[in-house]
Amino acid sequence: MTYTSYLYFFVFVGIVFLIYLMVPLKRRWLVLLGASYVFYGFLNGIMTLFLMAATVSTFVFGKQITKQQQLFQAKKKELSKEEKKTFKAEITQRKKLFVAFAVVINLGILVYLKYYNFFAGQIGSIFSLCGVSVHVPLLRLALPLGISYYTLQSIGYIIDVYRGKYAAETNLAKLALFLSFFPQMTEGPIGRYNELTPQLIEGHRYSNENFTGGVTLMLWGFFKKLVISDRASFIVGSVFDNYQIHTGPVIIIAVVMYTIQLYTDFSGCIDIMTGCAKMFGIELAPNFRQPFFSKSVAEFWRRWHITLGTWFKDYVFYPVSLSAPFLKLSKSAQKHFGKFLAGFIPSAAALFVVWMCTGIWHGAAWKYVVYGLYYFLIILLGMLVEPLAVRICEKTGFNRKGKLWSCVCIVRTFILVNIGMMLFRADYVGDFFRMLAIPFRNWNFEEIMNSGVFYLGTDKHDFLVIAIGVIIMWIVALLKEKGHNVLSRITTGKLPLKWAVMIGLIVSCVVFGAYGIDYGVVDNIYAQF
Amino acid sequence: MEELLKILNEVKPGVDFTKEKDLIGSGILDSLSIIQLVTKISDEFDVEITPLDLVPENFESAETIYEMIQNAED
Repeated sequence: MTYTSYLYFFVFVGIVFLIYLMVPLKRRWLVLLGASYVFYGFLNGIMTLFLMAATVSTFVFGKQITKQQQLFQAKKKELSKEEKKTFKAEITQRKKLFVAFAVVINLGILVYLKYYNFFAGQIGSIFSLCGVSVHVPLLRLALPLGISYYTLQSIGYIIDVYRGKYAAETNLAKLALFLSFFPQMTEGPIGRYNELTPQLIEGHRYSNENFTGGVTLMLWGFFKKLVISDRASFIVGSVFDNYQIHTGPVIIIAVVMYTIQLYTDFSGCIDIMTGCAKMFGIELAPNFRQPFFSKSVAEFWRRWHITLGTWFKDYVFYPVSLSAPFLKLSKSAQKHFGKFLAGFIPSAAALFVVWMCTGIWHGAAWKYVVYGLYYFLIILLGMLVEPLAVRICEKTGFNRKGKLWSCVCIVRTFILVNIGMMLFRADYVGDFFRMLAIPFRNWNFEEIMNSGVFYLGTDKHDFLVIAIGVIIMWIVALLKEKGHNVLSRITTGKLPLKWAVMIGLIVSCVVFGAYGIDYGVVDNIYAQF
Repeated sequence: MEELLKILNEVKPGVDFTKEKDLIGSGILDSLSIIQLVTKISDEFDVEITPLDLVPENFESAETIYEMIQNAED
């Protein structure tokens, strides 16, 4: 989405908001549904059919699963213990079949559209390695917007219905709204049916607090995106596209800039969308919790893209860990190895599955596989070293909860995350390794001393604006980390303060935003997944 | 309960599980330690803990974990 389409978005949201308030309370959710499909249809055209197919299949199979559940509940009192057991197994089998159908259809569409060309390319490469020239036709279809997000939502819904967490939705339109709610179609957050749908269906009256809170959050998101992210993108693009000609310090600056760009782009967009939903009285699930205050990589992933992490935890990590083969592995490890390895081996195996899925979810390329592998290895190493670190600290009396050690851990995590970001941004895995080697081989400050760093598609003023923007963002995050939510305090604060902050944010975006002829347009990074 | 406390101390040594009431919020138990805990509980108590039981409310304290085990036994 571009800054011009952001303007359209503002106009679109404004119109939808007015219509929403004009319609009777009970019917307001229909306005959201209509708006969501207009928004999606406008951006995706014919590919809206994929969203419709996902919705209908999820609806049909969800209902069938609940029907089986109800059948069991109705009949179980009439059956003996043995009969009940056999009948339950039969019902579970049928439910599993319906889950499989729903998951295959939903995941099938995603895999076909997102990964077909990648696999086709790999097959072609394998054949050419064997000296056989095979032409595998490629798919000429763009990826429908939000497909990676709504597919996870529909699979999560189906699994929850299967687990009996809640009964399936009986109204197709309500399920359609859950899967298509327009603020979360671009970059998530990945919502849960039981948390989001009641809010969507309930008609919300106008609330001054929700309106100003929503608008302030949206402006804060625009500030992050237009003032910091889009400006940083030029330095990043300039260095990453020609990394071979740069020195180590410049590479490091570019990588840190990319981390800033990605965070402000993604969290900025999430703030805009969360603020938009808040205007309607709807709270979206939080997706970030000051990730750069994390003391370990595992903690970082509990604070960064939270809804993706919790989705993989609930629907991949837990079921895989508690599956029969993994429990068997755990028991076998307990028999053959010590206590520590008995816990470590099954957890490591389940983590491997999760991190491969996380990597591949981001895109169809080898670099994403390596990206998943990178975090898997880091977390695994952390798990291995932890008992040793605890023992050393106990013996030496070192305080691991002290401020100094916390700072060291935060810096260490930041460095490891930045290496991950370098891999995430590099075109290919080979580029990542070559780029990673530069700071070790070419530690030359000449490029920086000669002000070369200020000619990477930007100038000194751009650096200054980014630096001030990051400092403001860091102060807000630090206060939030200490329990003071600045944005919500402004929303509930006095009127002059609200206006001053809102006008300040608008002026900052207009004056310092990186838009216009000189800047071009920067797409949201996570919207491409 | 004693058996459970023994398992908890094996998974996370050095924590006073009789006093801690916010095991998830305070970061004492994370998803990895929960899996290790559940595997041991399933073994020792011969109960089936499903992914549906793996919600933060069931792991807030030794008492809530014990309650979950009793529910699974029923």
